[in-house]
Amino acid sequence: MSYCVNCGVELDNTAHSCPLCHTEINNPKQPIDLTSPTPYPRKKGELEVLKKRDSAIVTSVVLGSTALSCGLLNLFVFQNGRWSLYIIGACLLLWIFCIPILIYSKLPIFISIFLDGIAAAMYCGIIAYQYPGKGWYQNLAIPIILLTTILIEIFAIYLKMFKNSILSRACLFFAEVAVLCSGIEIFIDLYIKHNVSLSWSAVVLTCCSIIVVTLTTIIKQTRLRNEVRRRAHF
Amino acid sequence: MPKSHKKSTKDSWFELDLSATVYPTLQRRSFSSVYRISALLKEKVKPDLLQKALEMTLPRFPTFKVALRKGIFWRYLEPNNRPGPWVEQDIINPCMPMPFHANNHYLIRVYYYENRISLEVFHSLSDGTGALYLLRTLIAVYLRLQGYTIPNQNGVLDINQPPDPEELEDAYKRYATSKVRPPRKQEKAYRLHGTLEPFYTLNIICGIISVDTLLNVAKKYKVTITEYLNSVLIYALIQQQKSENHRKERPIKIAMPVSLRRFFPSKTLRNFITMVYPTIDPRLGDYTFEEIVTQVHYYMRYHINGKFLNADITTNAMTKSHPVIRIVPLFIKDLTVRSFYKRVQDLQSSAGLTNLGTIDIPEEMREHLIRFDVLMGQPFSPRTNCAIASLGNILTINFASSIVETSVEKFFFTKLVRDGVPVKIETNRNN
Repeated sequence: MSYCVNCGVELDNTAHSCPLCHTEINNPKQPIDLTSPTPYPRKKGELEVLKKRDSAIVTSVVLGSTALSCGLLNLFVFQNGRWSLYIIGACLLLWIFCIPILIYSKLPIFISIFLDGIAAAMYCGIIAYQYPGKGWYQNLAIPIILLTTILIEIFAIYLKMFKNSILSRACLFFAEVAVLCSGIEIFIDLYIKHNVSLSWSAVVLTCCSIIVVTLTTIIKQTRLRNEVRRRAHF
Repeated sequence: MPKSHKKSTKDSWFELDLSATVYPTLQRRSFSSVYRISALLKEKVKPDLLQKALEMTLPRFPTFKVALRKGIFWRYLEPNNRPGPWVEQDIINPCMPMPFHANNHYLIRVYYYENRISLEVFHSLSDGTGALYLLRTLIAVYLRLQGYTIPNQNGVLDINQPPDPEELEDAYKRYATSKVRPPRKQEKAYRLHGTLEPFYTLNIICGIISVDTLLNVAKKYKVTITEYLNSVLIYALIQQQKSENHRKERPIKIAMPVSLRRFFPSKTLRNFITMVYPTIDPRLGDYTFEEIVTQVHYYMRYHINGKFLNADITTNAMTKSHPVIRIVPLFIKDLTVRSFYKRVQDLQSSAGLTNLGTIDIPEEMREHLIRFDVLMGQPFSPRTNCAIASLGNILTINFASSIVETSVEKFFFTKLVRDGVPVKIETNRNN
């Protein structure tokens, strides 16, 4: 039997070094036993991930077959208009939304949000293809989708990359709501009236500003933060 | 007769008991509510006989032959008559999380490696005491298949008898009757910081010790073995915290499950435990080891008694039976419980320590067994968990952690060595 010269514990005959302090074993009277089995196996276990793979297959098959059958129905049976494009687009949209949950869970959240934004733009593109209107897709849909995606990306980056609390998250959330509402109204005004005059979004902006300023003050003042925490605990 | 008795005898379904409710909510890639109890035999294990023994034994334990299902408000267990579970060759990373739909929906795993039989159980099914009944009975049936005579006593149940309804009961319901409900909120404890190992790695360091020697040392301090080992773990964590040079030190708290069967008679094979938290606060000053031992000793004597434990389980039981909580849909409960556990419960302890105590087996079985080992699964935070069990004169202390560093284990075992307790170390780490 060998002992660790550093820790004083007895070691297994198959051990090459002390597991506690990593001191190498050097016992001329008891060489390391290379033939006996080690106390623990060497085979690494893997988790069975049946559920997600099955769900991914089922989801892909259901969405794919729905899109295909609707396309065929539109081509050969109900040929009035290109209605199947809406369903095919919706299936593609849902499938893209499912990628991070079912198909590739290691996909970084930033990329999946970006893909979701592209999918939403694509679906609006399909509607615009059917009803081009007065350039609503380029002037209204794309800017709103872009702004929403950017704001969600910022929120995700903040959650993932920075140390945050419930209060700071709430603060960012209300700030983003204010920006989004203002942005939507600006884009609508530019599209319809070609000039900007804020109305309902100004109310949202004011309310959100009050909330953001209050939350920021609470975050900055430790005493106030503790007081709020004490009074609002549940 | 409690409600659960009626349900179980009809072989329909089981409500999850008080402790069991939490574990499925918490189960995820980075957290495992699976524990393992192993028995080291004197002879190499024969897998075909073990499989046969498992098939013969499991029907006697209906609360282990189940699948976990989701209801609208709560999860529940329903009998699982699918084929399996199958005995498997052991792996280096035990106590992996148990996906509820894998393994034919079974929530137990049986492994073999050389002379060792290991049983892994999802904590919603049973606590260590309950699982130990299954393992002892399984080993007894396995030995009988080899021609040995093993009687049905000392923890070995008769597989030809139907289960006693009391074995299937939710004993919390029967005993949670205290008029006082102590608050649960506690101060944050010191948490170990270390380098996380790659996915699904569980490092084990097992210390093998003579019970007689340990008992003599514990007697010197006038405490029990559990109190002594608790004190050594606290001592190791204090040393660890000091070595990390924190600006602000935190209390060292050990989360220790206590089996309630000792205080509230029940034959239940399901969960019937509660937690106590022996604590030392280093901010009060430097504690000598003797002072730690005294503090732990009096903490245990003060808290581990029927009255305190009853109040504790009543607090938990009242939360579950609250009318508003009962009607909240399961997915909202899941979100809330998970958040509470991560933000409050998990931060309340620096390490876990569980002691199954002296494991009782029939004399006829003793000549075939060397020792028992217990292992706790991977917790949320990168801390180390310690599990103790003894058979005859051999006591094993198994540290399980998912971090690279071994400093707490080193402080722990070197303290034992300095106290005159010889320790033999085994590990699954590549060394």
